[in-house]
Amino acid sequence: MTTMMLTALIAKDFKGYFANRFFALVTVLSLVAFTGLYFLLPKTVDETLALGLVLAEAPPALEAELSNADEVRIARFATSEELQAAILAGDLPVGFVFPDDLAAQLQAGTQPQVTLFLAPDVPPEFVSIYEVAVQEFVFLILGQELPIEVTETVLGPDMAGAQIAPRQRMLPLLVVFVLMVESLGLASLIASEVEAGTIRALLVTPLTMRGLFFAKGIFGSLFAFAQAALLLLLTGGLAAQPLLNLLALLAGAAMVTGVAFLIASVGRDLMSVMGWGILAMLLLALPTLSLLIPGLASNWMRLIPSHYLVDTLFRTLNFQAGWREVGVNLLVLLAYAAVLMTLGTMTLQRRFR
Amino acid sequence: MPIPSIIAEKLVYRYGSLLAVDQISFQVASGEIFGFLGPNGAGKSTTVKMLTGQLLPQSGQMTILGIDVARHPKRVQARIGVCFELTNLYETMSGAENLHLFARLFGVRSFDADALLRRVGLDGRGKDKVEGYSKGMKQRLMVARALVNQPDVLFLDEPTEGLDPTSAQAIRNVIREEQARGATVFLTTHDMHEADMLCDRVAFLDRGTIVALDTPHTLKQQYGERMVYVEVLAPDGSLQRREIMLDRADTPAEVAALLQGEQVVTLHSAEATLEDIFIRITGRGLAS
Repeated sequence: MTTMMLTALIAKDFKGYFANRFFALVTVLSLVAFTGLYFLLPKTVDETLALGLVLAEAPPALEAELSNADEVRIARFATSEELQAAILAGDLPVGFVFPDDLAAQLQAGTQPQVTLFLAPDVPPEFVSIYEVAVQEFVFLILGQELPIEVTETVLGPDMAGAQIAPRQRMLPLLVVFVLMVESLGLASLIASEVEAGTIRALLVTPLTMRGLFFAKGIFGSLFAFAQAALLLLLTGGLAAQPLLNLLALLAGAAMVTGVAFLIASVGRDLMSVMGWGILAMLLLALPTLSLLIPGLASNWMRLIPSHYLVDTLFRTLNFQAGWREVGVNLLVLLAYAAVLMTLGTMTLQRRFR
Repeated sequence: MPIPSIIAEKLVYRYGSLLAVDQISFQVASGEIFGFLGPNGAGKSTTVKMLTGQLLPQSGQMTILGIDVARHPKRVQARIGVCFELTNLYETMSGAENLHLFARLFGVRSFDADALLRRVGLDGRGKDKVEGYSKGMKQRLMVARALVNQPDVLFLDEPTEGLDPTSAQAIRNVIREEQARGATVFLTTHDMHEADMLCDRVAFLDRGTIVALDTPHTLKQQYGERMVYVEVLAPDGSLQRREIMLDRADTPAEVAALLQGEQVVTLHSAEATLEDIFIRITGRGLAS
């Protein structure tokens, strides 16, 4: 295959891609929308614990403790009704109501009743934590020390005060979406060429089948890569480990190009391409859910090729991971890209005959 | 003796249990316009696909310009031009862009798209997108695309089917010009009149086999019957048509009797058409 052939085919595909107004619009809009969405998401995480308190009179030691606690923001209320109204309004997730005669009851040796009010979206596992917090409060009110001393040791990077912002958690998902939009456009382009018979016309020239796939692969990979790299550039994702991230994007772009070949081998028109494409997009987006909802990660997600792209980006963007840390990820991602490209080429070739 | 441009020997192709091409053999001389005629489903397009390297025959051999097509399809495809039966152009590109794309695939560096578009009657429309072309214009562009590499052998699959007379004539003119340039033309059609006008030799294909192959003139002499068609005025004032075979011993007497005894309105002779001959040989028409 000559350079003249390659450039002619790439230029043809580029024109063909943007001749489809739907994908031209979606390509531009998705880049703008995803970049905008990134900047609309919070760039920091509020790590303070907000709670409401109804407590008639607090001992001076408790007042001092409460005013010095950086990580706890306490709002005082005069009545239980006021506290409940604040929680219902969404101002606070939780509030404690101590009885007015708390001190008297404690001195008399009776067991005072403390009420815990919770917003409906407080996770169940947090309820017991708040119950423990109430008990700690009582120790402070009584002016007693806790019977134990707790030592905290963080294994791995200490994220206290440096929690990963929602926009940073979201960024790998946005990258996967941008790559998949390009993939759908390429699949639609190929499917329309097969249906129109133009592929047949190309193949009765000196152009070989291998050359045709090479050109499609180059166009699809570079186009998807350029879009994703632009997104990372605009969102500051290339500030750290640029080479590593660009290589991950290139491997990811090759991977989705293979997926595009597979979609084009079963899609007959725009609707069927979209149907298969959305299915593929959902599958490839699954690994990003484990970033958005920590604790959701399951081992089987490692079977999904995009896991290795998502994990690489997440670690380089948020934990300053280097070649040593994500090198295996890159190798697996490249292997997946090669497998998907080969599979896609083999299945798509059958439609050309 | 020069090597024939096309040699096909005992070509066979099946689609499952359907035998589409059954042991066909023929040769096409360099510079010849060769008509490949037959009804739909006779095996014409399958044969063209094999000769142009799009399908591998299940048995048999074929060479184009002395090159084994099955072994070196790309070497062959570099020297041929193919105009497909169904329009397969890049509709969102302009006519000129379509031609430039294929010129670059053939490695043609200095390519004048305007000159080629002018040849097929599309001058001034090169910058228009193909999706805005009429059917005739698209077909002319298809022919132009087949010419971008100045092919030594030109395969045209039903190039004038369903076209207006102007477009059809433009394509026939290009075919004659290509022959004059020295190209061999392999014309697949079921338009017998067109084949008669253009082709040096024709092959009749029926159910995957060649049932006759010769020049149109020889086929007409061998299988056709010349006729005299006469219109006479009947006593009731209506026109009646009479047919008299021209080459029989009693033909002069029969014609003389008609002229003397009846009021002749029109009288003309006609030779058999290729379609008449095809029906005579195969027992069925081209539309079947």
